[in-house]
Amino acid sequence: MSVHAAGHSSGIAELDPLIRRVVGGRLRDQSALDDVVQETLARTMAARIRLDDGALAPYAIVTARNLVSGLWRREERSQRHLHRLVDRWEPPGPDDDVVLREQAEAVAVALAELPPRERLGLVAHELEGRETASLAEEWGSTPGAVAAQLKRARAKLRVEYLLALGRIDPPTPLCRPVLMALSGGERRRQRELEAGQHLLECDFCSDMGPTLLQSREKGAEDDVQVPVECDADVVAARQRAREVAAEVGFSGTDLTLISTAVSEIARNIVQFARRGEVVLTRVEDDGRSGVRVVARDAGPGIADLDRAEQDGFSTYGGMGLGLPGCRRLMDEFEVTSKVDKGTTVVMTKWRQQPN
Amino acid sequence: MLVSILRQGDFLIASIHTALDDTEMERFRQDVVTRIGQFRSRGVIIDVAALDVIDSFGSRCLADLAHMARFRGAQTVIVGIQPDVAFAIVQLGMDLDVHTTLDLEEGLALLERLTAGSRTGHSAIGVLGDDR
Ligand SMILES: [Zn+2]
Repeated sequence: MSVHAAGHSSGIAELDPLIRRVVGGRLRDQSALDDVVQETLARTMAARIRLDDGALAPYAIVTARNLVSGLWRREERSQRHLHRLVDRWEPPGPDDDVVLREQAEAVAVALAELPPRERLGLVAHELEGRETASLAEEWGSTPGAVAAQLKRARAKLRVEYLLALGRIDPPTPLCRPVLMALSGGERRRQRELEAGQHLLECDFCSDMGPTLLQSREKGAEDDVQVPVECDADVVAARQRAREVAAEVGFSGTDLTLISTAVSEIARNIVQFARRGEVVLTRVEDDGRSGVRVVARDAGPGIADLDRAEQDGFSTYGGMGLGLPGCRRLMDEFEVTSKVDKGTTVVMTKWRQQPN
Repeated sequence: MLVSILRQGDFLIASIHTALDDTEMERFRQDVVTRIGQFRSRGVIIDVAALDVIDSFGSRCLADLAHMARFRGAQTVIVGIQPDVAFAIVQLGMDLDVHTTLDLEEGLALLERLTAGSRTGHSAIGVLGDDR
């Protein structure tokens, strides 16, 4: 696999030698080492939107360590629970009664940890389907502020749920706030708490942190998913992108740039991989808002990303320009690709002025 | 009706009325080129004012259309590219090497100049391409 970064999001590719050193000290087998490095880079890239730059390398290091020590198995197990009960509020499947009861208890415990208003707000919004606008009216607030509050509440709930499920108390007073800041993707808070440093020093958080962030990636609450497998889907993807970007507050030229970039990237999927998806997400960072586009496919992958990213290189049927063009339309742009496994493009555009 | 192709004397006025996917775009290109041959048109207006995105494929298709028209003896003017769309085309790195004007009126005036001396002169107006 190769990873390429551009714009403000450089740094992932430079992590490669670091991770290689960390893993190399623990693994002798070359192909296992390559796999761990690749998986670590992919996971770090997926989580980077919620990470302060200072926490990026520590996150990669603890992720690599977890992968090496097999902790990922545990991580994946807890993610399945977390995903089902916290991210989507889906009713539990026909699992074994004891597990169900434990999960239900954990949710109850986690909910009890929330301040009353956040708890009521979450229940009203997620379970009863109340719109943020109607909650805002009741609370004498704005829909944007309510959405931000609910987002923080969800982040907190995820942490409390995992803690309750594992019946564990965090070993240090710093653990909870750090996990909260990671879960909510609050970069400034992560900086204040030196979350990266804590991740490296605290075994507990080096296990929990990645679990929280990876699960965020899988089922964020306001994602818009657009399946892409034919020409018409390319048009649908760019139209949805325009809508989502307009909701975030972009206007005029930016809407056109974003939907053009999505059109390019969606066409790449149809041409190269035949089938994939485009996921559109509203993102927040330090008071800025933006829209993030993740385009995934399970196609043949791109063997030579360097060439694919050069202007004029024909990525398919003489069209070329796809990747370098998109990079210029967006603020952040990253591609990972692995031959025979597929390609993921993550690109973000930020609004110029704060809301 | 996604597109229309109107004959106006020696000219064709081809308009795109809604977002087209790649297949529709290619069919549009082919239809226009076919009409040019059919009516021995000397000039073509492509009205894209309704498009809110012209990506690399769209740009390429329009440029190809202009080149193919040229081989058939017709000049092409693209009219109505929205400013945001033009900006995106440039950012994307596409070189849309064709004549463009802001609106239909200017486009027709430019076509007159480009084709001066090669006109055959009749000016019947007919609707040709509403089969979609
Ligand atoms: Zn800790």
